[in-house]
Order: sequence, then C-alpha cells, then structure tokens
Amino acid sequence: MSRLDTTVRPSRSGTGKAARRRPGVGKCVSVALLVIGAVGMIAPFLWMFTTSLRDAGHAYDLPPQWLPTEWDWSNYAGAVSGPVPILRNMLNSAVIAIAVSIGMIITAPMAGYAFAKLDFPGKNSIFVGLLSSLMVPAQVTIIPLFLLMRTFGLLDNPLSLILPGITGALGVFLLRQFFLGLPQEIIDAARMDGANAWQTYRLIALPLAKNAVSTLGVITFLGSWNAYFAPSIFLNSTDTATLPLGLVLMLGPYGAGNVAQVMAATTIAIAPALIVFLVAQRWIIASLTQSAVKG
Amino acid sequence: MTTTTETQSPAARQQGAAGPGAPGRTSRLSAVKRQDALTGYAFTAPTIIGFVIFVLGPLIAAFYLSLTKYNILTAPKFVGFDNYVRMFRDERLATTYGNTVLYVGAAVVLINAFALLFAVLINQRLPKGLTYVFRSAYFFPYLVALVYVSIIWQALFQKDTGIMNYYIAGLGGEKIDWLNSPEFSKLSVIIVDTWRNVGFSMLIFVAALQEVPKDMVEAARMDGANEWQVFRRIVVPMISQATFFNITITIIGAFQIYESIIVLTRGGPGDASRSVVMYIAEVAFNKFDMGYASAIAVTLFIIIMLVTLLQFRLRKSWVNNE
Repeated sequence: MSRLDTTVRPSRSGTGKAARRRPGVGKCVSVALLVIGAVGMIAPFLWMFTTSLRDAGHAYDLPPQWLPTEWDWSNYAGAVSGPVPILRNMLNSAVIAIAVSIGMIITAPMAGYAFAKLDFPGKNSIFVGLLSSLMVPAQVTIIPLFLLMRTFGLLDNPLSLILPGITGALGVFLLRQFFLGLPQEIIDAARMDGANAWQTYRLIALPLAKNAVSTLGVITFLGSWNAYFAPSIFLNSTDTATLPLGLVLMLGPYGAGNVAQVMAATTIAIAPALIVFLVAQRWIIASLTQSAVKG
Repeated sequence: MTTTTETQSPAARQQGAAGPGAPGRTSRLSAVKRQDALTGYAFTAPTIIGFVIFVLGPLIAAFYLSLTKYNILTAPKFVGFDNYVRMFRDERLATTYGNTVLYVGAAVVLINAFALLFAVLINQRLPKGLTYVFRSAYFFPYLVALVYVSIIWQALFQKDTGIMNYYIAGLGGEKIDWLNSPEFSKLSVIIVDTWRNVGFSMLIFVAALQEVPKDMVEAARMDGANEWQVFRRIVVPMISQATFFNITITIIGAFQIYESIIVLTRGGPGDASRSVVMYIAEVAFNKFDMGYASAIAVTLFIIIMLVTLLQFRLRKSWVNNE
C-alpha cells in the first residue's frame, strides 16, 4: 500500500484540490508532466534516427543534435554492406516471423473455436492444461528443446524457431474469448441449414473473427520479430542469424562497432514495429468508436 | 424463433445422448454431436501436439535432467538431488539470483508507480488528440524489441561520449560509469527495463480507471471527500484487479530479464549485473553442464509458478475488499 501512496502524491498536487479550484492550473501541471514523460520515451528513438544520418566520425559529437542536420544515408548503405549480413538476417527474421504468424492464425482460431463452441470429452481439462503452459517460462524448456532440435538436426535452422512457434496457448485463449462472445444462434442456424462443423467454422464463425485473428497475427509477428532468447541459443552462424542477433554482432563487445551504422541498422529493424504500431493504433480508435456507437 | 431453438436444443441433445439409436430428429442430433466431438479433437489436435512436443515434454524433461549429470557427449547419469544441493554452495548463483531479485523489486515498484502516475494524468479530460499522442508515445517502446532499445541505450550510457553523462555534467554532476561500475550497471538495466515496460502497464491502468463509475466519484465529492480521499478510498480499490495483473506480469517479466543485460553490460563488471537467466544460459550452453543448468531453471519455474499462484490467492482477500 505504501507503494501506491508514494505513487499518487505527485498526481494529487497536479490534479487534486488545485485542479478543482482552478481547473487550468492542475491540468497544466499534469500536461507538463506528461510531456516530460513523452519526451523521455521518444528522445532515444530520435537520437537513434539523427545519429543514423550523421557522418560516422561525428556520431558521438556533443552537445547532441536532436534533429537531423544533414540527410546522409550512407550509413544505411554501410550497414547493409558491412561484415554482418544485415539484409540476410532481416530476411531470416521475416521468413520466421511470417511462417510463425501464418501457422498461428491457422491453428489458434481452430482450437479456440473448438474450446468455445464444440463439445468433446476432456475439453475442459485439456484447456486448463494448455492455459497453465502460460506459466512455464521459456528458460525452463530451452535446454530440452535445444537437445530435441539437436537430435533432429534442426540447430542453426529456422525450423527450430518456426515449429515451436506455430501453436501456442495465448492465441488459443484470445480466440476462445472471442468465440465465446459469438451468439450460439448463429452457429445453430448454420447447422440447421445443413452445414457441417467445418463449414460452419470456415464460412460462418471464422469470417466474423477477422479482427481478432488479425490482432493475433500482428502480436505473433511482432513477438517473433523481436525474439532474442531462443534464436540466440538455436542459431549460431551469421547466415542463419535473425536480425536481433545480427545487430548485437554488429554492435560488437562493449559497443565498439561503428555507432552511426549500428543506429542505421537499428532504425531499419524498428520500422516494422513502427508500421504495426500505426496500424494497431487505428484499430484501437475503431474499436473505441464502435463501442461508443453501441452505447 | 430464437427462444424455440434455445429451449429445444439442450433437451434434444440430452435425448440424443440417452438414446443413440432413437429415430428421426434425435439421431440426426446425435450424429451432429458425434461430428462436433470429432471436429473438436481435429481442431485442437495441432495445438495439443505442439503443446506436448514443445512445452509439456520439455518441461518434464527439464525436471528429469535436473536430477542428472549430463554434458551432452555421454548419456545423462542419474545423480538424485546433487544438483539442487550444489546450488547452496554456488556463490555465482547467489549473486545472480540476488541481482535478479533486485531487478524484480525495482520493476514492481518503478514500472507500476510510473505507470499509475501517467495513467492518472492521462485519464483526465484532456483534448482527444493530446491523449492519443501521449498514449502512443508511452506505448511505443513496448513494441520495439528489447534488444534494439538496449542498443540505443548503451550508446546513451557511454561514459565519455554518451548523452546521459553530457546532461549530468551540464547540471554540474559527476560523469557516471553507467555500464562498467558494479552499482550503476544494475541501475542502467533497471532504467531500460522501466522505460520500456511502463507504457504497457499504463494502458492497463488507463483501461481500469475508465471503468471507475463516475457517479460514485461524484457522490463522494458531494459528501465532502477531497481528491486524495477519492483516490485512496474509491479509485485504488476499484482498480486493484489491474494492479494485481500489473504486479504479476512485472514480477514474471523481471525474473526472465536477459537480453537487455547482454547488450548493456554483458553481465559485468564480473557478475555485478548478471541475471539468473544469463547464468543458466552460460552453464548450459558454454559449460554444457545441462543437468545443473536444468536444476537452476526448475527453481526459476517454481518461483514463477508460486508467484502466480500467490497473486491469485492474495487477490481474493485483497481485491475490492478495502
């Protein structure tokens, strides 16, 4: 409790009595605090981008330049033609992330639908078992998985990351939640019209889950694109490395790499997250307006 | 139309289960039921197979390996609880677990404190565009790989060339050896962890704050409660579900902290900033002491499981019960 007390005191002075007496002041203080926080969140990315456009010799010039003074893209060319095959690494990351996402948006909605809308013996215990796997940290299973991949000759092979990634409890849970909210009458009506279970799923239920499936696809893609732990253990050559591994290699021990090029490569690496972010924000707004309309 | 379906179908289904041989409509329904069950198994099969091969099997194997001595060249040799006994004498394990517990404590306090502060501020009636911009800014680092943000931060943390020290020196402070001193290397890891995760927890708090009934708050104000009392007596209890969720995920996340340390400090100086997961990876994949590494991993699993279960336990007595 004391934790919450300390947390809240600043907001009290910002939004508390002062805010009620004179609404303007409290709000100004809170906006100021929020601006400081937001600047802290964005500044490192801004520095990354600015540095990526600088001549390598001036990358560490102080005082720091926050806005690009020149638009020199040569670090990007340097980054992709350096000793670490960044483009190759990016392709590896993309192949794995796309394969994993496609697998997940096929397997998770099917299982989620089954757990939500179909009756079969053992359903609940299977679901509980699956859910409890969310409590298992990757660090516990990594050693047996490493041995498994080694036995099947999959080390240093993208399949070692794709195969474990195409199914997962989180996706099943998300889609089950969605399908539970789907009115049973829709399913029953399709069955009455003579659709079999597969047709009911494929033609009726799945199209309605479009948004939930897209969200799952995006989350899965990003999770795979950002992954470091398992790739760092299963992959051990620069040609099979994913982009996060490639960037760490490029940085070198103790940050000795060419910092302007590293920042150029990092900028490229962050681009998908930025795109996803812009798209996902739009969905958030859409779902907000939708619920507002429903009232 | 709907009501007839609703009232009929459970009864009809029961009939179908009772008499599979019954004629007409009933047998059609029992066929549907059988088809449903088969479809259910078929639909869940890929997920179940993946779960058995990639989660359940490895989990059981980890428990087994933790009772063996195994260097991957010769077959595992059963040694009972030797690996677990060995942990008590392992000073490096004590250090790395100590660091990890510090990261967990810092994450729980700092991430949630800042997340709640920003959530409360953002939840006021601000212009819509402004709310959108703030929410986006705070959430964005969470979407970027921890490796990438750590790469940026290690440049900012450089002692002589980094921006952090430039501004600290500008304010009249001493230059700090962020990445290579025993104390500050830990602090760097904590700063990056807090900075990256605060946005996600904030969104959870914002969602919870929006669920707090406005009329309840208004009624309390009418009764003369000041803002602090409103917050303490109404808002905090109402959002305790979100608080518990956030505390749990920050604990679990911080126990698994790994790649930010690899990029920032490589665990150093010495083991000063090394986390237990880094130590597990080192023992397993550099020293190939698979049995011992598995035993450490099992302790991590048990801790994370206990934390999760404890949170659920406490939640019952805590939530909405102030």
